[in-house]
Amino acid sequence: MRTSDVIVIGGGLAGLTAAIVAAGRGKEVTLMTSGAGTLAIGGGTIDMLGYLEDNTTVYSPRDGLGRLAEDHPYSKVGSQVMEDAVQFFLTMCKEEGFAYTGSMDSTQWLPTAVGTLKPSCLVPLTMDISLLKAANHVVVAGFSRLKDYFPELVIKGLSKLPGYQKEYEKVVIETGFTGGRDVTTLDIARWLDTAAGQQACYEQLGKHIKPGSVVIIPPVLGSRPNYDVRNKLEQALSCKFVETVIMPTAITGLRLRAMLLNRAKKLGVKIMEQAHAAWAVKDGSRVMSVVTSNIDRERAYSTQAVILATGGFFGGGIVADPDTVHEAVLQLPVEAPTDREEWGTLKLFSGAAQPFAKIGIKVDSSLRPVDAQGKVLLENVYIAGRNLAGYDYCLEKSGNGVALVTGYKAGLTC
Amino acid sequence: MKKHHYNPDSCTTCTACVVHCPVTQAVREFRGPKLAGPAGERFRLSEDDYDAALEYCSNCKNCDISCPSRVPISTLNMKAKAKYYKTHKQSLRDWILSHGEQMAKMASMTPGLANMGMNNFLSRAIMKRVGISDKAPLPAYASEPFIKQFKKIKQQSFANKVVFYPGCFISFNQPEVGLDVVAVLQANQFEVIVPEEAVCCGSPLVVNGFMDEAEANARKNVAILKKYVELGYSVITACTSCGLMLKQEYQELFEINEQERVAARIYDISEFLLELYDEGRLNTNFVKQAGRYLYHAPCHLRVQGIGRPGLELVKMLPGIEVTDADAGCCGISGNYGFKDDKYDIAMSVGSNLFETIKASGVTSVLSECGTCRLQIAHGAKVKTAHPITIVRKAYGI
Repeated sequence: MRTSDVIVIGGGLAGLTAAIVAAGRGKEVTLMTSGAGTLAIGGGTIDMLGYLEDNTTVYSPRDGLGRLAEDHPYSKVGSQVMEDAVQFFLTMCKEEGFAYTGSMDSTQWLPTAVGTLKPSCLVPLTMDISLLKAANHVVVAGFSRLKDYFPELVIKGLSKLPGYQKEYEKVVIETGFTGGRDVTTLDIARWLDTAAGQQACYEQLGKHIKPGSVVIIPPVLGSRPNYDVRNKLEQALSCKFVETVIMPTAITGLRLRAMLLNRAKKLGVKIMEQAHAAWAVKDGSRVMSVVTSNIDRERAYSTQAVILATGGFFGGGIVADPDTVHEAVLQLPVEAPTDREEWGTLKLFSGAAQPFAKIGIKVDSSLRPVDAQGKVLLENVYIAGRNLAGYDYCLEKSGNGVALVTGYKAGLTC
Repeated sequence: MKKHHYNPDSCTTCTACVVHCPVTQAVREFRGPKLAGPAGERFRLSEDDYDAALEYCSNCKNCDISCPSRVPISTLNMKAKAKYYKTHKQSLRDWILSHGEQMAKMASMTPGLANMGMNNFLSRAIMKRVGISDKAPLPAYASEPFIKQFKKIKQQSFANKVVFYPGCFISFNQPEVGLDVVAVLQANQFEVIVPEEAVCCGSPLVVNGFMDEAEANARKNVAILKKYVELGYSVITACTSCGLMLKQEYQELFEINEQERVAARIYDISEFLLELYDEGRLNTNFVKQAGRYLYHAPCHLRVQGIGRPGLELVKMLPGIEVTDADAGCCGISGNYGFKDDKYDIAMSVGSNLFETIKASGVTSVLSECGTCRLQIAHGAKVKTAHPITIVRKAYGI
């Protein structure tokens, strides 16, 4: 009979990381996914910790850890696991030819499409801002017909920020696209994958570049997880590029996902798309198999362990009905205020934490699910990513960080 | 069992489908699955609004595969197309491409003549006039349809019986694949029943808006297969598009009494054999054979949520080296790539797969889908085979 050492449910950053780490340890891993998830359209930066719950800014993620509550996922796994996870990620990216930069020492402040700075930690080389800080002449590039991206907004915002008083120059690159639909960063990234796109970009930018110029550009420097497009353009134009943080669809997430999928497949992870995990067969406090429910029938897949990385309310891992809130696959308890009025604060833009954002599954230090008294509910189940209780990733800017760290820990422990 | 739901408002407009749509990548004229499907549906619910961009959707289902909210986007597109063609007439080209079964039945009376007629300069020119590409890899007709060849087999009788639904491609173009299925099942002590009265699954009809005819076929097939399911038999397919139609798209498109009972018993041949393996019943007396292959997972398999059973099975065979190409859609998507105005799109969609195959240096590619195999042979200039053919060889039969 076929069996897996571990079934990972969920193909986001937490699930993929867990699958890669477990497979790297020689485990037979099956990864069940349902849809492509937000990783494919998200920013692809690993934000570890940008703000604390009281809205104070964190300038060094490492220093910020000590100020987190003990039920925060970071506190659960401990700082050594975090350091190891970061190192693991940086090494993997480098080996895959898609190196990331950054460390737990300092927060990286990335320019956004609206001219603000967003805190992050580990970022692709196309988002390395060290050269931008030093540059005097900054070309801010946009593209004709590109939706929701205005170079003048980037210039207006940045030039108000300390350290960003520079000589800005706006350039709008003409793509020559025809056809009726909106132009997206993905269209442009795919165009820049081609020699024709690179040539057009080179010609139109060339006359604006001075020695030492830095070009701020939306994330369009190729759709694949490598730096070929950036390297070619930087070499041809003798300048440096910095990609901005934008709204979905951000190509940076697509590249990261492609890299992780490549890595997982190389390690022999068996990926099952559209395998909608529905429930599990249990024997006492152990899960014996995971059952998928598709439109035709249910299928049971035997396993020694399960890593649950199905996401929160948005990802569908945690479901709130009018009367209940529950975890969707293993029916694990989810603690939440009984009075729904207490789930949210009405002051939307006050920078205050939203109570609902911290609703999730409680775990022990091995990430196994526990009840209200702290008793382990399922011995061979580990929880990773937004399934977990105790953190407000939106406020903290810690979403991908928690996914990476807990995915790493789960993959190491299972 | 969770059913698909048709509320377009389940779409959160996250754009995951647009990112993964191979046609969107190939042509700027297509507005993409999000706008053509769930967003367009909102307009269509309120007024008769047909978006010509719908013609670009190939029903490859990569949108459904990528959707995190389980919206059957491609099926919304197909339903919208069907609504439009209730009051508009399809082209002769689309009629021809959707009625392969009728065409094949006529052709199989004189297959030699038909093949000669199809593949000469003059008839390809005539086909081009109606809108079928003169470059497309149209399949040749077999000298004898599957059912005739099947009837000549003297099967060993076994208590365990299964139904095999061959579908049009195996029936009329590559019956040898069907014979491999029968041989492998016999080697596993199953007696095979082929219901002669079963008709085309309807997949080629759905994509060109012949929805009433597709439903008639669905009703007929469900009625036939239900009789066997009631006897406790499983139904086996060796074409992933037929399988998807029988188990999923019938339920998404039509209300047919008790069709879910049939759907629950539809098996891909490799999935069926792997279940036998799990039960310790698979005949594993495989002889060692040499062979190096790439495997291409058809999109219509990937959307089924059963992984890659064909690949898994072939990996069990001694001496065989097989790698998952994992290079996306081949582009053909049923009869889409045969169309003159879609040929270049289909080739562009498949280009990543073709390049991957060429770079691998393998000379033979395995895939369950007949039209994927045609397109791969055409685009990458390699031999192709159904995984079950390699399994049969491993039995030395």
